[in-house]
Amino acid sequence: MKNLLKNELTKTLNYSSFKVIMTLHFMLFILVIIVASRIDIAVPGFSMRNLFRFPDVWATFAWIASWFNMLLAIMIIVLVGNEFSFHTFRQQVINGLSIEDLIIGKGIVIFFIALYGVLLVFLSGAVSGIIFSHDFEFADLFSKSYLLAVYFIQAVGYMIIGMLIAVIFRNNSLSIIMFLLYFIFIEPIIRKFFSPEVRQFFPVKIISHLTPPPEVLTIASKKTIEGAAGGSNFDFEAIGLMPHQLPLLTTLLVAAGFISLFVFLIFQVMRRRDL
Amino acid sequence: MEEILSIQNLSKNYGKIKAVDDLSFTVEKGTVYGILGPNGSGKTTTLAVITGVLRPVSGSYQWFGNKPGKWERKKIGSLVEIPNFYPYLTLFRNMQIVARIKNVPEEDINRVLGITDLLRRKHSRFDTLSLGMKQRLALASVLLGDPEVLVLDEPANGLDPEGIAEVRKIIKSERAKGKTIIIASHILDEVEKVCTHVGILKWGKLIANGRVDELLTTDRIVVMSAQDNKKLKETLEKSGLLKNLKEEDDTITATILPKTDPGEINKYVTGKGFTLTRLEVKKPSLESQFLKLVR
Repeated sequence: MKNLLKNELTKTLNYSSFKVIMTLHFMLFILVIIVASRIDIAVPGFSMRNLFRFPDVWATFAWIASWFNMLLAIMIIVLVGNEFSFHTFRQQVINGLSIEDLIIGKGIVIFFIALYGVLLVFLSGAVSGIIFSHDFEFADLFSKSYLLAVYFIQAVGYMIIGMLIAVIFRNNSLSIIMFLLYFIFIEPIIRKFFSPEVRQFFPVKIISHLTPPPEVLTIASKKTIEGAAGGSNFDFEAIGLMPHQLPLLTTLLVAAGFISLFVFLIFQVMRRRDL
Repeated sequence: MEEILSIQNLSKNYGKIKAVDDLSFTVEKGTVYGILGPNGSGKTTTLAVITGVLRPVSGSYQWFGNKPGKWERKKIGSLVEIPNFYPYLTLFRNMQIVARIKNVPEEDINRVLGITDLLRRKHSRFDTLSLGMKQRLALASVLLGDPEVLVLDEPANGLDPEGIAEVRKIIKSERAKGKTIIIASHILDEVEKVCTHVGILKWGKLIANGRVDELLTTDRIVVMSAQDNKKLKETLEKSGLLKNLKEEDDTITATILPKTDPGEINKYVTGKGFTLTRLEVKKPSLESQFLKLVR
């Protein structure tokens, strides 16, 4: 296990595309929160500043970080796809790893990338909270910090989907295209054939809804929309203008179910096909 | 003798094509077993199955008498098909990865890079190597940890004459250490020079299997001439030392029986009062023999 970890570190940390994509991820995230912290739209009753104060900052930053989960998933697709195109999965089996070891090795990488994401959100959230909060009532500081754990599961979910696609297609460009198509077209189109209640249980929908936009924002935008629509009783959630809000625990459980299913499928695909 | 590898009725298909068809053989400890066959005869497929990369359709195999698994594979140094390494990593880092999989101390890396003459390139990226050097690195990783069993697929692939000679030297010195070596090759000469046993594959089937000296070099041909070839031929026919005697031009060609020493022929005919003007032992072209076997 220790050697498995060391090998994954050697392979990943010395890979220049990894360094570039992760630097990009870090810089984009920091850039977005810096820019966002400077915007102050006057919303009646709310200050945008609240989003950067404890404890809302955890929700805000987890949500912003989730925008870049696609990047992390593509990183995993590339790392797994490389093992196929370099024939190194094959060679590692020849040298004495099992198929399960190969999958666990990439699982370790996914774990560490998700951990990095959480640390990024935690540290930047802490800095932002300290800068923007007025009073530090300790009890309230971390009341929404469970969202860090939720973000962790979400990041893992994106990367597991990426890995599943990578072990099916075994080709970087094809896998990346299929991954993007699935997220942007395939699943949304399939969802249209189902009732709104069923729609929200699709994997991409469920996993991306783990970190919903902060309440302040949704309430504010709902007000804006309702104001524009003249206060009608129109169901904005049904027409997709507003996200559905399943209880977090339900979302979390369904997402965990999907992640387990995908991990199971990864093992099945890898075990059934020749390397 | 202790059986290192034993294969029973192994078959592997690629779609409708039978790459390996009902293959059975065993490799005993301390032997150098050559798997010989033309391109596409199933050599690499066989090695890929026994090194755990491909799953057989039917049949089974055992390493060291055990059901195959990763712990068995860690004890075997294998080069299958082509050198597979991370192109962006240095030779040393690539070897570190192999060493960690095989639970071999990293100190051994310098030793094997020394044997394969790659020490000077230790910190070069793998993708900067020439084809021959990549092949040498693959050999270095095979030797890592001084395994008891080596599996080599076309080990001389892409090497220059000097490199081929070095590979041969390495194989011979490993053999001298009592290692068991399995080599797949389409080059008869290579197999003949280093192997003790050989199995010949054609269309995935084993068509011959046995000791190299029995299978590949049984038919030595002797070419003789004397003053009176006709009389010589008659005398030799009665000797029981030779067969297939033929008089051609001004020489007699014959096949020496496996156990016969050419010196005996000379002694025999001298005793009968002949003076040979020519006595030459020829090995038949191995290629022609190989072609005869696979035809």
